[in-house]
This record gives sequence, structure tokens and C-alpha cells, in this order.
Amino acid sequence: MASVSYKHVQKNYGDVTVVKDLSMEIADKEFVVFVGPSGCGKSTCLRMLAGLEEISGGEIWIGDRKVNDVPPKDRDIAMVFQSYALYPHMTVYDNMAFGLKLRKTPKAEIDTRVKEAGEILGLTQYLDRKPKALSGGQRQRVAVGRAIVREPAVFLMDEPLSNLDAKLRVTARAEISKLHQRLQTTFVYVTHDQVEAMTMGDRIAVLNSGDLMQIDSPRNLYEHPDNVFVAGFIGSPSMNFFDATLVGEEGKLFVDTGSFRVNVPSERNKAYEGHIGKQVVFGMRPEHIHASNFAPPNIDASPLEGQIDVIELLGHELHLYISSGKSSYVATVDTRLAPTVGNKVGLVMDVSNMHLFDKDTEQAIR
Amino acid sequence: MIRMNRFSRYNLIAVTLLVIIGFIWIYPFLWVMFASLKTSSEMFSAGATLLPENWDLSNFVRAWDKANFSTYFFNTVLYAAAATVIELFKSSMCGYVLGRYRFPGRNLLLGLVTATLFIPIASIILPQFKLVQALGLLNTRAGVILALSGGSGALYVLLFTGFFQTLPDELFESARIDGATFWQTFRLMLPLAKPIIATVVIFQFMSTWNEFNIPLVFTLGRPELRNMAVGMYAFRGEFSVDWTGFAAGTTISIIPVLLVFFVFQGYFVRGLAGAVKQ
Repeated sequence: MASVSYKHVQKNYGDVTVVKDLSMEIADKEFVVFVGPSGCGKSTCLRMLAGLEEISGGEIWIGDRKVNDVPPKDRDIAMVFQSYALYPHMTVYDNMAFGLKLRKTPKAEIDTRVKEAGEILGLTQYLDRKPKALSGGQRQRVAVGRAIVREPAVFLMDEPLSNLDAKLRVTARAEISKLHQRLQTTFVYVTHDQVEAMTMGDRIAVLNSGDLMQIDSPRNLYEHPDNVFVAGFIGSPSMNFFDATLVGEEGKLFVDTGSFRVNVPSERNKAYEGHIGKQVVFGMRPEHIHASNFAPPNIDASPLEGQIDVIELLGHELHLYISSGKSSYVATVDTRLAPTVGNKVGLVMDVSNMHLFDKDTEQAIR
Repeated sequence: MIRMNRFSRYNLIAVTLLVIIGFIWIYPFLWVMFASLKTSSEMFSAGATLLPENWDLSNFVRAWDKANFSTYFFNTVLYAAAATVIELFKSSMCGYVLGRYRFPGRNLLLGLVTATLFIPIASIILPQFKLVQALGLLNTRAGVILALSGGSGALYVLLFTGFFQTLPDELFESARIDGATFWQTFRLMLPLAKPIIATVVIFQFMSTWNEFNIPLVFTLGRPELRNMAVGMYAFRGEFSVDWTGFAAGTTISIIPVLLVFFVFQGYFVRGLAGAVKQ
């Protein structure tokens, strides 16, 4: 168990900076997820923490120890890799025991720990098998088991679920969350999958092009994104963005996209006043645009109409791709609606959930 | 169904043809093996006939005892086994470092190793001779083994280099986090190179087994240190050649190599076919 701190950490490959001045604290026993698109530097952040990549600048601390120059084996960490990196010629038991053997742990203790981990992960009957004879899900659990037996202060996981099929990923996700609760250890987890991030993390660090865009709880990231990037990255389908102008008329504020106009809830007037007459980015999540017939009661509704371009029925959700004037956007509407492509549909936006961003800085206006 | 029939008929023709060609191909080899069981007069009178009329084992007895093949056999096994072990050790470690580590001059080193492939082995026998002489190992088994282990490593180094390059980085990173040292990591990864190890064992064992120049030149002063390839010369008299004895000697020398090949052939084929990705 240990906390982790990144202090102004930087990583360059030649002239290219892949992590820029990263500073963040991860509390003891916390589950923090690094998320972001490919090449955003999230794996590099984890690998620097593991000691697999050197740091170009700044400091990394694990607990009360600065680990910049500490080799990976002495950092008291264990890592689960995307490809699992199991030793193919060793049995499951030997794979799990290998690290302990190198550390000259007594045989009896190795045996206890491996069998215990095997039990936690449901691998007891596979301990004598080689990785080749296991399914993808079992291999992934062996990789986790190999980390568990080490009893590290920090668990590092680099996209450990991305080689699993969609169904298995859902169960494995829950298993890892349970494991975190059981082990009460610090977890640092890297994924490009925002669903994994949202469901597993206590806090999520969203990265883009080496910059930390926001670190916060899943709920706050979803409800109060700091910038356009985070707003667009978290949530599926993504938030709709419209270039707009903030208009003030008779003490009321409106967002005018050119295709439609939305009234701003009065309680936000104070926050937005300074941007009247300026270009803004208006953000609205698809799930906050409802079919007018099935809109929930008591929402702050702003009506609009659009033409249906594409319909996607997911069973529990219905996505409509709409065009209104020059704008096009997605709405997640009630599945009772029976839409037809090409037809007009009446919609309402729940403006109490609107987001407004500065056009130039792309930062949220609050 | 019609398609399948046509294919199986095609296969039957192809297999029959291949069997015939294969038989023609190995016929001289079989002829030598059976000639070792013929009497000298029968060998000349029988022409291309394969099977002997009277099975005669005296050729083997003569080769083993009189022509000293018992000693030569021991020498050959020792030379081939020792040179194979040394070559395997040397080339796997060299290939491991060249395949996994980036260091200044690596490409140059790799280029030099590759360049040695184009140097005829016979052309370095003199410097090898001088070296072994300087070490005081001339006319000793150790000297022969040393000279035999020096020549053909480049191909093996390149095979190992290529193989270790294809192993995923994560495997090595995992070993690093587990706390494996350089040597422990090497020992961890080496078993994964089984196809390459088999290839090296077969190639090196066979080439050392059949080596003629080095065992001849390095043991001129002590004929009892010769291997079978050199020993074969004992069957040549001043005016005649003991051909059936020669055939028996050949058979004795071929069988162990065949055994080595059969033991490792599965890996060998995989190693050469490039199916080294796990």
C-alpha cells in the first residue's frame, strides 16, 4: 500500500515530448485510471511509474520514496501487461511463482501465496497447465495472479482487458474492481476504453497529446467536464458540439447556433454573462435530447425539430442521427418512438444539462 | 464430392511420383549401406542390385577393429558433441545480445558477423592452426574441438538474433519487473528458442561429424586422434581400396547423424520455416 505522486514529470523521445509537465497525486488504496486516445501518453505515464521508461524531467514518488533512479524490481510494484507476457514454457504455477523465486521467498510461502491467488482467481485446477492450454480470459487471470502473489504496494495495469472479447471484458472488469476492494491496494490502470475507465476508477485522469486534461471522479468528468476534449471523450455516443453565439435579449440568454436557438437556464446567467456576443461552443449530450412525445416531465425543455438521417436501435437505447439546418447531431431517445429515416422528428433539449465552452480556449465556462 | 475425388486422385499421382523420385534420390545412399553387407567380390559383380546375396557382417568387424573405427567413432562423437555445445552456448548468447540490446556499434558488429559467412572456412585454417599451436593444444583433442567450434558460428548467431528480436518486449519487461538479472532473463528466454537450438544442433553436429580438414591437419602427429571422416582414408591401400570396408565405415559414420536428425527434425523444420513466433 502506498501513494503515488507525479511531480512535473516530463518524457521526451528526441525532440518529441510525449508527456508534458504531469503533476498529480494518487492516494493510498485509490483506483486511478489513465484514459485517452492512442498516443496520448497514458501508457508512458504507467511505464515511467513502473521504471520501464526513464523520466526526462520531474520526479515520481511511491510512498515516501523518490523512485526516479530505482530499478523496476525494487519499486514494490507489479504490472499486468496487455499481452499478459506469460512465460510460454512455464506452467501457471511457475509463472506466478517466478518473481517470488527470484526474490528468494521461502518455498512454503511461495506455495501458499500462489495457491491463494489461484483460489481468488478461480485458477486452482489450471495451476499445472501451460498458458497455451488456457483461454484468453484465463490467461488474463494468470497475469493478474502473477501480480497478486507479489503483494505489491502498487498494482499497474496496462490495458489488461483489451485482448478479451466484449462479453468477457464486462465480467473481467467487475472482477478487477472486486479485487481492488479485496486487496485494498493502490491500482493504476491504463485504458483507451472510457467505459472501463468510468466503471472502474475512483478517479480518472484524461490525457490528450501528453497533457493532463482533467483528473476527477467519473461523475464529475461526465457532469462537469473542464474542456471540450474531456466532454467529447467521456460519454457514448459523444457529446454533440455546436459552434454558437451567446445572445442576450431582455435579460435572458440564448445560445444561437444559426440552425436553432436554445434558452439558457436563468441560474447560469451570471456565469455566462461575460461571454455575451462572443463565439462559444455549445455542448449537449445525446441522452439529454429527448423525443418531444416521450420527454421526461419537469425538465427545462427547449424544443427543436430535425430530420432523421440514420437510426440505430441498440435494444435498450435508440440513437437518432439528426440534421437541423446546417447542424447535425445525435440524440438518444425513448425506444418507444417509431422513427423513419427521412422523416421530421420533434425533439426537446434538456437545457439544465447544457455545457458551454470558450471557443478559443475550449475551456468550460462556469 | 466430384472436386474432392479429383483432388484425391491428383494427390495419389503426386505421392506416387514423389515416392519414386525420393527412392531414386536415396538409392546411392541405400546402395552404400547394403554394400557394407556384401562381400568384396559380390559388390563388384552385383552392379546396381541393392540386396546382398549373403549377408556379411565381417566388413563392420574389420572397420571397427582393424581400421581403428572404435577409436575414431569415440573421437567423432566427442568432437561433434563438444563443438555443438560450445557453438550453441556462444551463438545463443551472442544472438541474444545482438537481438535484444541496442548499443553503439551494434549494426557494425552484426555486419561483420554476417560478412564472415562469405569467408571460406578452409582459408582460415592456417591462422587457426597457429592459434591452437600457440595455445600448446596441437595434437590434442581440446585443440581439435576448439578449432571446430570457431568456424561456422555466424549463421547461428544470425538465426538467434532474428529469433530473439521477434519475442515481444513485454516478456522482457515482465522479467525485469520480476527482478530477473541479465543472466536469469537469458536463461528464461533460451527455452523459447527451441526451433533455433534444434537447427543449430543439427547443422553443427552434422558439419563437425563430417569435418575432414581440421581433424586431419590438427592431428597429423597423432593419428589416433582422428575422426571417422579422416579415418576413412585407412581403407585406401597403396594399390587397392577396401571398398566394402569403406562402405561399412560410411554406414557406421552415417547412422548417428541420422538419429540426431530424426530426434530434432520436427523443431528443425519449424526453425527453418520461420515459424518461430510463439
